[in-house]
Amino acid sequence: MLMTRSLEERLVNLYRQTKVIGGLFRSLGQEADAVGTAYALDREAGDILSPLIRNLGSMLVQGATPLEVLRQYMAKAESPTGGRELNIHFNDLERGFLGQISHLGDMVPVMAGIAMYFKLTRQPRVGLVYVGDGAMSTGAFHEGMNFAAVQRLPLVVIAENNGYAYSTPMRKQTAVKFLVEKASAYGVPGVQADGNDVLAVYETTRAAVDFARAGGGPSLVELITYRRKGHAEHDNQSYVPLEEIEPWVQKDPIDRYRMQLEAMDWYSSSEIAEVETRVLDEIDEAVARCENEPFPAPESALDGVYHDPPRADLEWYRRLDG
Amino acid sequence: MAEITYLEAIREGLHEEMERDATVVLLGEDIGEYGGAFKVTQGLHARFGEDRVIETPISEIAIVGVAAGMSHMGMRPVCEMQFIDFMSNAYSILTNYVATSRYRTAGLPVPLVVRGPSGGGVRGGPFHSQNAEAGYLHTPGLKIVTPATVYDAKGLIKAAIRDDDPVLYLEHKYLYRRLKDELPTDREVLTPLGKARLAQAGTDVSIVTYSAMVYKALEAAAILEREDGLSVEVLDLRSLQPLDDEAILTTTKKTNRVLVAHEDTRTGGVGAEIVARINELAFEWLDAPIRRVCAHDVPLPFAPTLEDFVLPQTADLVSACRWLAAY
Amino acid sequence: MARIDVVMPQMGESIAEGTLSRWLKAVGDQVKRDEPMFEISTDKVDAEIPAPSAGVLAEILVQEGETVEVQTVVARLETDTAAAATSPATSPPTSAPSQSALAPSQPPDLAEPPPVPQPQATAPAPTDHPEVASGPTSAEGVSPPPVQATYTEADRRVGAEETFEERLTRKSTPLVRRMVAEHDLRLGDIPGTGLAGRVTKKDVLDYLELGVPRTAAAAPASPEAHTPPSRVSGPLVDPWPGDRVEPWSRIRKLTADHMVMSRRVSAHVNSVIEVDYSRVASLRAAKKSEYGERGVNLTFLAFIAKAVADALPRHAVLNAAVSGESTIYRREVNLGVAVALDWGLIVPVIRHADGLSLLGMARAINDLAERARGKRLSPDEVQKGTFTITNPGVFGTFVGLPILNQPQSAILAVGAIEKRPSVVQGPDGVDALAIRTKGMLALSFDHRIVDGADADRFLAELRVMLQEFPESAT
Repeated sequence: MLMTRSLEERLVNLYRQTKVIGGLFRSLGQEADAVGTAYALDREAGDILSPLIRNLGSMLVQGATPLEVLRQYMAKAESPTGGRELNIHFNDLERGFLGQISHLGDMVPVMAGIAMYFKLTRQPRVGLVYVGDGAMSTGAFHEGMNFAAVQRLPLVVIAENNGYAYSTPMRKQTAVKFLVEKASAYGVPGVQADGNDVLAVYETTRAAVDFARAGGGPSLVELITYRRKGHAEHDNQSYVPLEEIEPWVQKDPIDRYRMQLEAMDWYSSSEIAEVETRVLDEIDEAVARCENEPFPAPESALDGVYHDPPRADLEWYRRLDG
Repeated sequence: MAEITYLEAIREGLHEEMERDATVVLLGEDIGEYGGAFKVTQGLHARFGEDRVIETPISEIAIVGVAAGMSHMGMRPVCEMQFIDFMSNAYSILTNYVATSRYRTAGLPVPLVVRGPSGGGVRGGPFHSQNAEAGYLHTPGLKIVTPATVYDAKGLIKAAIRDDDPVLYLEHKYLYRRLKDELPTDREVLTPLGKARLAQAGTDVSIVTYSAMVYKALEAAAILEREDGLSVEVLDLRSLQPLDDEAILTTTKKTNRVLVAHEDTRTGGVGAEIVARINELAFEWLDAPIRRVCAHDVPLPFAPTLEDFVLPQTADLVSACRWLAAY
Repeated sequence: MARIDVVMPQMGESIAEGTLSRWLKAVGDQVKRDEPMFEISTDKVDAEIPAPSAGVLAEILVQEGETVEVQTVVARLETDTAAAATSPATSPPTSAPSQSALAPSQPPDLAEPPPVPQPQATAPAPTDHPEVASGPTSAEGVSPPPVQATYTEADRRVGAEETFEERLTRKSTPLVRRMVAEHDLRLGDIPGTGLAGRVTKKDVLDYLELGVPRTAAAAPASPEAHTPPSRVSGPLVDPWPGDRVEPWSRIRKLTADHMVMSRRVSAHVNSVIEVDYSRVASLRAAKKSEYGERGVNLTFLAFIAKAVADALPRHAVLNAAVSGESTIYRREVNLGVAVALDWGLIVPVIRHADGLSLLGMARAINDLAERARGKRLSPDEVQKGTFTITNPGVFGTFVGLPILNQPQSAILAVGAIEKRPSVVQGPDGVDALAIRTKGMLALSFDHRIVDGADADRFLAELRVMLQEFPESAT
């Protein structure tokens, strides 16, 4: 969680120094969702998750590195997508994560497809996909959720209720009070948890994952949390009254977890400080390493649209000139 | 070996690929016991079971999205769109997710096929008669094939399944049962993507076309030979993405008068792209402007008098060729 | 000195500019990396902007309250701290806020932008060059409103001076233009059978095959050089019931156009002379079988052609062409021999005919005629003739008065050769009637360059050569 927050903070700085290109999205206050849910999966078994833009934490749990994330944001040639996609839209099925595309909802049928593969090949693996209050309004979500339900696929759907989709509050997004109410429409179990309590998130998700692995089919897990920053770094959240944000600062998931660790004597405050230092060091190292790396070569833009032909037809234009 | 229909050829192709490769599965509405709305998949469910012939709810987005996820993991799904007109429900996931996957992930493949009955002339009205290729031609990352013969119906579905890129296989419903032919038994029937077929050689005018229009073009060619003494060449493209540029240029250089014809509407149709390419690469070979014969730019109406007016007919091809010959 | 730029960041995809709302550091201050340096505000968000690296704030280029475009350099950091201590503070330029700041060490008056044409103050009048304002014209920073670029009347009228048909006739198509260029032809010389009378690919190919001669390539830029052969229109004629209407074939059309053009271009005059072929006839009879054994059919025409080829070098103006206001005297003697085909007239050419023996001439005539009938002539064999012989006499015609084969200056028509009564002087000086083999030779010539005397002298010489044909030449 610390890594998530620190990395995002560093990215903000880089963004303001124009070293990060494009948009920057924070998950401030929601780190527990991403991290807690991801830990509930079994990486060894080959479970796969598909994050949304505020689930950087889940990717880090699955083994994505800060260096990869920084390279993506800074449009470097060495980024996992060769500069083709931005921010955390990258994937590694071996490590267990499939990056999203910007069209919300689409990852639900795609992850249902991966879960379908697990089922058809009789592997005890589970898929997990994140949606937000906004994504749950899309047709793609509906079709994917319905398909997964009717086929009883091993897919856990994490619905992060953070109060807003860009500037649209929940009450303008849907007529239900809580997202978990939609589960019965699909004939799947629905559960809720406090999204800012990482252990609660972990336990609830774990139950859903076990249920899926045992052949019970999909379930909908709603995590109640709050988006403390704007939609992206260029959005100043002017549509949110300050009084609304303040109580959630008190419920900061990292602070709470830190208190729990110390109160339960699982970790001392000096050990926690050590973790913080390690995290910052790792980030510093990554930034230093990739800051001066080159951008992708312009003509490489033509490679890899198809398997065959491997290169888009630059010859076309050469024929015209020649 | 007996004659089979165009539709049976598709079924045979699916069957052979499913026998040959256990990762080939079908997804679609009513394709199981019922055999599909047009019976293309009849018998496959009984032979391969419900794990390989997967019936879905009415969810084109999910059909394509699930297929994409499965293909990431190494399977080769073939999605059936009950009518190609419904493929547009999945336009976003096809163009934004599937088409871009390999490129934006630096290599995650999506070797799926989406197939379905396209085309009109069957009094199906605006939503059971569409030709969908233009919107997808425009999208880098998808491949598109349009078989016109019984041979290619089988050859191209097999090739599409084996292709590592996502392929749209647009079969023509008018040809389903009207076209019959005998296929060779001594060798495997496979048609390469990206290669056109010379349906008829000629010297005076070229008709560049695909799918059911090939037959109208051949009819027009016969009329023009008989009545005008014109020798008309007919090129069956078979593959729209990739397009066989070499074949298009060869026929242009041969006759110097080209007619591009398709059943789809004119504006922004595939024909416009072909005309642009001929202009760019063979301008100095043209002895007349390149002409197009296509459907009028209207939603396809149902009544026979209306549909026949809107869709391009043999007579339209004949008069366009005459115009070209006289230019 | 190691200075790095600090720029106005882009806070959002559609954001194009930002306002520097507050400086948190002053020139000369140390800053740490990532330490906030200044605040900005944009349409969407306000933010503190951190320093990209550690150093000393060396220059401030954008002041508080100024709005600049994204990526504009707002300040410079000196990262080499030793040098920073001695560099002077500089003043920002005084130019308009919408311009990017240039190197600030320039004195303000050099920031004057280059002079710009004044835009029109009135509604756009028809001009050839629509003007567009390109920036402020004064140092006061007040820009006149930009004038929109629009199409002028002149732009819209491009192409209106000729009709589609005229343009099509003049320019034809890309393929035809290319073929014309490749074969060094002139589009205007080729009759067209396509739409609006334009020249088609087939027309060009036919033109090359049939070898209708080109007009002199050396013509100085004549105004008619690129106009198509203008057709004088004849009366409109309607078919009557029972009539058969046959549209012209290409070769008919080519011939028709050529004939009319030739008549119009040259001053046609005819001279006719009678030749006694009795000697030629007996020579021919004597040598016929010998030639036959060598595969050659010895005809009267061969003798005549030999005489013509031998005589022409001494009568150069009859082996010439008109070019503008010059006469081109041809060095080669290339004899065209007209051949009547079922489908029309063709003139294969015997190149360098002046070098041929009678045998060679006879052989050449046989060969060309045969190949002409079999459509096996190459384009070279119907080009570059300098003089033409035609033989209407073979059908029995007494005298022919042919039309000149352009661009040649003369053409000889051979009339029927037959036995006729003739007055001869006997050895005793008494006139008597005899039966002689005789025929008429008719010369059509271009009186622009060939005078009557030239023609008569030529014919006279031909007569002598034929009437006194040496046996040694056979």
